[in-house]
Amino acid sequence: MIPFPTVDGLQALDERHAVFCERIEDPLALEHGKFHFSAKDNLCARGFQARAGSRILKGYRPPFDATPIRKLREIGGLLIGKTNMDEFGFGTFSTNSGFGIPRNPFDTERCCGGSSGGAAAAASLIPEHLSLGVSTGGSISCPASFCGVIGLTPTYGRVSRWGLIDYGNSLDKVGLLTRTARDLERYLPVISGPDAKDPTSQSQPVLDMRGEVATVAVPAEALVGLSPEVASSFAEAVKELGRNGVKVREVRMPSLRYAIPAYYILATSEASTNLARYCGMRFGVMNHEFDQGFNDFFSETRSEDFGPEAKRRILLGTFSRMVGFRNRYYVKALQVRQLIIREYRKVFESCDAVLTPTMPFIAPRFDEIARMRPLEMYQADFLTVPPNLAGMPHISLPCGYSRGIPIGMQAVAPQWAEGSLVSLARSWEESFHYRFPEVTA
Amino acid sequence: MKIGLEIHVQLPTRSKLFCGCSTSGDAPNSSVCPVCLGFPGARPFLNRQALEMGVLIAKFLNCKMSDRVWFARKTYFYPDLPKNFQITQYDSPLGVDGHFMVGEKRVGIWRVHIEEDPGRIRRVGRSGEEVAMVDYDRSGIPLVEIVTAPDMTSPAEARDFLTDLIIELRRLIGVTGEEQTMRVDANVSVGEERVEIKNITGLKNVERGLRSEVTRQTKMLAAKKRIVRETRHFDEERGVTMPGREKEFEEDYGYIGEPDLGTYRIGPLAASMAIPETPLVRAARLSKEWGIAAPAARQIVLTDWALADMFEALAAKVGGEAAMSWTMGPLSSSWKDLREKASELREDIIGIVTAVTSGKMTDSEGRMRISALPSGKEAAAPGEDAGDLDALIVKLVDEHPEVVRDYKGNERAANFLIGQVMKAMKGKYSSKVVAERMKMELEKRL
Amino acid sequence: MDRETVSKVAKVARLRLTDEETEQYAADLEDILSAFSVLDEAPAIEEYDLGPIKVEDVLREDVVYRDSDPAELREIMGTKDDWVRGPRLS
Repeated sequence: MIPFPTVDGLQALDERHAVFCERIEDPLALEHGKFHFSAKDNLCARGFQARAGSRILKGYRPPFDATPIRKLREIGGLLIGKTNMDEFGFGTFSTNSGFGIPRNPFDTERCCGGSSGGAAAAASLIPEHLSLGVSTGGSISCPASFCGVIGLTPTYGRVSRWGLIDYGNSLDKVGLLTRTARDLERYLPVISGPDAKDPTSQSQPVLDMRGEVATVAVPAEALVGLSPEVASSFAEAVKELGRNGVKVREVRMPSLRYAIPAYYILATSEASTNLARYCGMRFGVMNHEFDQGFNDFFSETRSEDFGPEAKRRILLGTFSRMVGFRNRYYVKALQVRQLIIREYRKVFESCDAVLTPTMPFIAPRFDEIARMRPLEMYQADFLTVPPNLAGMPHISLPCGYSRGIPIGMQAVAPQWAEGSLVSLARSWEESFHYRFPEVTA
Repeated sequence: MKIGLEIHVQLPTRSKLFCGCSTSGDAPNSSVCPVCLGFPGARPFLNRQALEMGVLIAKFLNCKMSDRVWFARKTYFYPDLPKNFQITQYDSPLGVDGHFMVGEKRVGIWRVHIEEDPGRIRRVGRSGEEVAMVDYDRSGIPLVEIVTAPDMTSPAEARDFLTDLIIELRRLIGVTGEEQTMRVDANVSVGEERVEIKNITGLKNVERGLRSEVTRQTKMLAAKKRIVRETRHFDEERGVTMPGREKEFEEDYGYIGEPDLGTYRIGPLAASMAIPETPLVRAARLSKEWGIAAPAARQIVLTDWALADMFEALAAKVGGEAAMSWTMGPLSSSWKDLREKASELREDIIGIVTAVTSGKMTDSEGRMRISALPSGKEAAAPGEDAGDLDALIVKLVDEHPEVVRDYKGNERAANFLIGQVMKAMKGKYSSKVVAERMKMELEKRL
Repeated sequence: MDRETVSKVAKVARLRLTDEETEQYAADLEDILSAFSVLDEAPAIEEYDLGPIKVEDVLREDVVYRDSDPAELREIMGTKDDWVRGPRLS
């Protein structure tokens, strides 16, 4: 059987749970051409609740499939469950869920990373399993690196967001967490493509799975503030890439220092409007105290059923777009995003990818997380936020282990160049041996 | 006195602004989908027709057109608003700084933008404690909002503005339901301070609401009382404006861009659009081109677009004055019946009128023939075709020189010949026409 | 970012906070916003877009279509006689 902690990480419905466990024990039980996959809980699917890690959506059964889920189901995919996450994606450690906390398969005292923590745990634990994840500011890269799996975040607009419960609409991207490059090759083309239900998916060029990473740029700014084990693993990985014939250049990207504030302001500005709809009417938690005035009625449900981090981000986002602050925060953040995109484009004139560690430290223990201030948590995203803000595709690959705990590196490619990242993943797994946690029967 | 208006008019599209739901729902919550209900994970997709109609209106109102526009989220909490934000336009309206002429009066247009309508609330329960029952069929219905400068100086002027605007929009984009469904916020200041009357439905109520508010402000000023800047609403039943419910606090809409929609290059679109001639523009042109009085031109155009077509065709043959009197007289009075067959009867009508104006037919004969046209009798029109009649008259007059002689002293002498003609023609021509023609022929011989 | 501002923002966002929460969020947001003031140093550029990629003139034709069942949606919303129930309006 699977160890207890992973059950926490996967909230499969009861009747599906048996199927799920069976698949884990014998993935080949699936007929030829079929495969199993899980989806982060903010992706809507018929037959499952979609709660996005929030109590305010408890009991909500969406009346439609998210486009990427529909496409996977159409080619024979069996959705075996929804994976736990930080409430609406608000977190770096998946500790902000309204439904328990997933634990790291390598060390159950440590977190999975977030916000796609359950997705990363599933990909790490279950052989041949595909996890659909979602990244707004690093929510695929971070848990992939903490759980020792591959996490691919496509270009913004590559995968339709129809059916994705919004965090920040200009930042949200559906992506894949898996053990192998082969799965990326198989399933990225399936979930990609323009969708008549998402205007922002309509501008994409055709997905080109060719391309390679011959030259990488390492920004000096990314090497500051790393834990020693991450610094040394990353240095070793860079050397290994060099031995494989990849050219490595050091570059400077001074605008990256603006990425964290710009990201958090944009993401929370958008989130605070997206979350306005959760008010005790229409879907999710229903307030039946109709004899209250509407302001009290709305405030009651929202105060009771949003978690503390959701409230923090609603406050930050609401403030950032209020009269008198809007230009200084919201509008400025929009401008800074363009600045950072320009800086990436300049770097990409002379290299194929920007390479950094994924997270500045290995998966922290829960007691360490409890001592962190919100700002410290936000700042932990300083390597994953920039490509997310710029809508650039990126991939996190396992690149080392510190006392058995995985460490990841992240490669960022120009917009629409996912193909080169997949080819990097393929060549990397030939030279670097991935380890996976043992599932005891 | 200064009055400015914010007018919301529904754009007559088949589907809603951001989803494929029909704009004509019947039973409550029957024309709804995850998009217009704001379900998690659903997202908007802009209706091309609505954007184009909005652009056409802005251009028609002589606005300076934006090159690129986007949408914005206006966040406020109310039970009729599914997402608790409304998708509207904030920092990039379709057009700004336009104007609209009401007769000779120029009313400035500050901005034109499009937005989605919220749902409809039915209030249920005891007065003062009503709860909301909501129908979201209206949620996502496309609206255009037109904001005027405070250029109107009386409630009557505001009414005239709205009347004329709706006349034009009806033709321009096919607005239906006009007066009843138009929703207006009106700003009015008799003295220094401005009061906003929110959400008045229908043109008549706008004028009533404004009149009552003007009276209220005037009385207060006369009594040397201060007018407070506030939002009021118009109580249709009592015909007075009442203070709006005191809001707990000033709502901060916190506008941000709508990231799900992207941007729209309306500059080239606007430049490529031709504005069709609207009724009041046409009336002004007719008045100027044919020298007829403005009210007459307006009446012709507003009676029916095809009647104005008829007028123009007639005017080209017989001049503006005659065309106007025929159009406003006999044609207007039979128009209800003529309308259907207006295009096929067009030549007949022109024939009759030219016959009259050229003196070949009497006025009353012409009128009679026109009123008889729709029934299909008297298909053979006189006029140029009355060759057989003229030939017969000439023949008879030639044969009876005594009648010409007697006619000099007594016009009744003609009656003998008229009788002969009527008998020979078996009622094909009316006695009036025959008398007219006979008279003309006899006069020639004197 | 003081408690008064946090209270005001919370009201706009329809969140009811306890005194402790107000205090805590005021401290958190103060911490966060003072770190974020680095944004003021970012070079000003005029041009900006709503998202990271260019999405321009994406429109749908004015065609009525239905791919969900209003009856199912009404059921999710818990309607009463097909009307969605809401709170008091005053």
